[in-house]
Amino acid sequence: MLELRRVTKTFSGIPAVDDVSFCARPGEVTGYLGPNGSGKSTTMKMITGLIEITQGHILFEGKLIQDDLIAFRRRMGYVPEEPYLYNHLSGAEYLEMVSQLRNLPQRESAERIDGLLRLLSLYDDRHASISGYSKGMRQKVLIAAALLHNPELILLDEPFSGLDVGSALVLRSLIQELASRGKVVVFSSHELDTVERVCTRVVILHRGKLVADDSIVRLRSLMELPTLEAIFSQLAVEQDTDSMARQIADLIHA
Amino acid sequence: MRKLFELVPLEVRVLYRQFLLRVIDLEALSIEADIPRFLGQFAGVLIMLSIIHAVRICLFFGAEPWQTEQHLIATMMLIAGLIIVVSWDATFPDRRDVMVLSPLPIAPHTILIAKVGTSCAILGLAILALNCFSGLVCPLFLGAQHGTIFGLLQPLAAYWFTMVAAVAFLYCSVLTLQGFTALLLTRRLFLRLSAVLQLTAFGLFLGVYFMQGMIANSAAMAAPENRAILDWSPSFWFFALFNQLNGSLPAELAWLARRAWIGLGIVIFGAAASLLLCYMRTMKKTVEEPDLVPGAHGLHLTPRFGSLLQTAIVLFSFRSLTRSRQHRVIFAFYLAVVFALGISLLRDEMPAHAPIPVSPDLLISTLMMMSFAVFGLRSVIQLPISLTANWVLRTTQLSSPVKYIDATRRSLLVLSVVPAWVVSVFLSIPFRPLGYVAAHLAVLALYGWVLAELGLIGFYKVPFTCSYLPGKSNIQYVFWGVLVVLLVVVTAIAELEQRAFGDPIRLSSLLLGFAALAVGLLAFNRRQAKSAVLNFEELPEELITTLGLISPLPEKINTSSSAS
Repeated sequence: MLELRRVTKTFSGIPAVDDVSFCARPGEVTGYLGPNGSGKSTTMKMITGLIEITQGHILFEGKLIQDDLIAFRRRMGYVPEEPYLYNHLSGAEYLEMVSQLRNLPQRESAERIDGLLRLLSLYDDRHASISGYSKGMRQKVLIAAALLHNPELILLDEPFSGLDVGSALVLRSLIQELASRGKVVVFSSHELDTVERVCTRVVILHRGKLVADDSIVRLRSLMELPTLEAIFSQLAVEQDTDSMARQIADLIHA
Repeated sequence: MRKLFELVPLEVRVLYRQFLLRVIDLEALSIEADIPRFLGQFAGVLIMLSIIHAVRICLFFGAEPWQTEQHLIATMMLIAGLIIVVSWDATFPDRRDVMVLSPLPIAPHTILIAKVGTSCAILGLAILALNCFSGLVCPLFLGAQHGTIFGLLQPLAAYWFTMVAAVAFLYCSVLTLQGFTALLLTRRLFLRLSAVLQLTAFGLFLGVYFMQGMIANSAAMAAPENRAILDWSPSFWFFALFNQLNGSLPAELAWLARRAWIGLGIVIFGAAASLLLCYMRTMKKTVEEPDLVPGAHGLHLTPRFGSLLQTAIVLFSFRSLTRSRQHRVIFAFYLAVVFALGISLLRDEMPAHAPIPVSPDLLISTLMMMSFAVFGLRSVIQLPISLTANWVLRTTQLSSPVKYIDATRRSLLVLSVVPAWVVSVFLSIPFRPLGYVAAHLAVLALYGWVLAELGLIGFYKVPFTCSYLPGKSNIQYVFWGVLVVLLVVVTAIAELEQRAFGDPIRLSSLLLGFAALAVGLLAFNRRQAKSAVLNFEELPEELITTLGLISPLPEKINTSSSAS
């Protein structure tokens, strides 16, 4: 189980994530939602150890991750928000490098890389430079790299970004399949429809603060709202969207 | 000057500033990077060179006026050539420029003017810095013979005009070549060929500079055996042009100056035509055709270089070095020096058919080759290839920094020490006795290892991953300092080696000394790395340092504060 206890991150004194606590359990897919700038990616980066926590604790299987970050990293797979990759490497070279950095046995990792490249339809382009990959192809490389070592905790930050419909459907099923095999899956997305279909529970963030943490079914009945989109709008969207659209149109028309 | 600049249309000024800032790849820089400071340091190296030239003029101009003038022009052309090679594609819009600027109402000629303006500004800075002293002293020596104001002004004007013309000739030649290649080929092919052309130009500029001799007087210049070199070497054309403008060119060499004028005219016309056509026709090509070179479908070998981590880092370093144009060009500069040293050794020693006795030339050349190979790689690996992609190294850091530093060491050894050593082995084949050669190669290998360890002191980084902070290394001092120290050290080692040849005890002591030094440095680096953190962001050194006058806080207070 992944547990965040009163986690806070401030940048120059300004809180980006403020006193956030929640749990993500094995066998569940936890949706992590919030508007732009609400602190979702910052939280993800704190869990991966890319940025330090200002206050609070993150625990995995009851142990503070900071106590043994290396052991934690061995058990974690991460797909970042932006598909940043070493463009001068080919897809196959990149995955090979990740497997070597993770110290995976060579023969086993070669088979896995080969299989993942085939299943993700990247095999024909495996020797082409990543600089020529489309956004969707890059996203697939990131997903393959995150799953290569069969992690117990999977962190997916906007994993559907750039994927075509077919690949997105495969990923959706894959997330559920991984959770059903006992993995802890945390994934953030702006596609509320997908979140509603995939996640068992959601955590909603607004201006760095936690505003909801429950199962979607319970949130619907508690708030007496029909969809996750309606719940999200009520909790995390402050503006009157129609009025704002009118104002923008008026401004550029003037 | 400012008012003059304001006369230029606003969009040209805005683009000019943007392009000027991109002389250094902004995506590779540390957040604290200070580009003007770095450019200042670069200018500092050239100004120092100008001072050296000025001293040389004062010492030797009377005895060797022609060689001095030729040397000044050839050096200017070399420096300009290197800048042109480093900023190879700077005059042409890249994919990013086209994608950002095409949707805006900006005419292609505006982008063209801003791009050319940027390149000219950089080259202008180089001309000014390299000639700020020599450009005054040399005309002064020439003008002193006349004793009139006009007599002083004429060589001054001739000197500066010649330098500008020589640089313009090189710049326009490269532009013509690039422009027409871009026009004739598809973008993919152009990109592939452009990389080859860039390295060829690089080798050509350095090769000509190092291989071409100087010609002392008009009689030697008119000699038939020198005709071929004069025909094909632009630095001699511009030497003739300088003397023609100065009124000191012998009539029989007027054809050389004519070559300079004709060449200049052709390349200026060629550059203008190719640039105009290129901007009109290739902007679309840049968007339509991807920048990537098609993937290779040949053999894909992944050799092992130690542990899996070491293999990953060595392969990553090798691929970054061979596939990134920016890194390749910088490393090529050092390799070119290695190449030049090797060639000069072959040229001077190889003509003899009989076995050649081991000479100081062999020892010094190979030691210098090793030094430049290691320093070159050490300089290049501190430039990152893609900072945004470094997250993968950070989230997969499953070993201690010591293991990563070991992998960096392996990269330095595999990619610089081993190749330099292998080249030295081949160069040493004709030398005798074989025992001496073997002893020298052993010393060379240990020397390379020592250099690699020295390069790793304080270097807690994975190659090609840490952001670059230009100006931190103070290149204007380091460059000259390292050069002087290197010359002294290499000469001393060569002397020690020569004394040790034939004396097994001395030789064993020398080898043991080097081995002990290398092992000592290895142990030191490993010990330091134990408490180090891998560095992915280069930051300036703190200006405020603590004096350590306050004792550490009692443990109780520490605990309570952290708990709160």
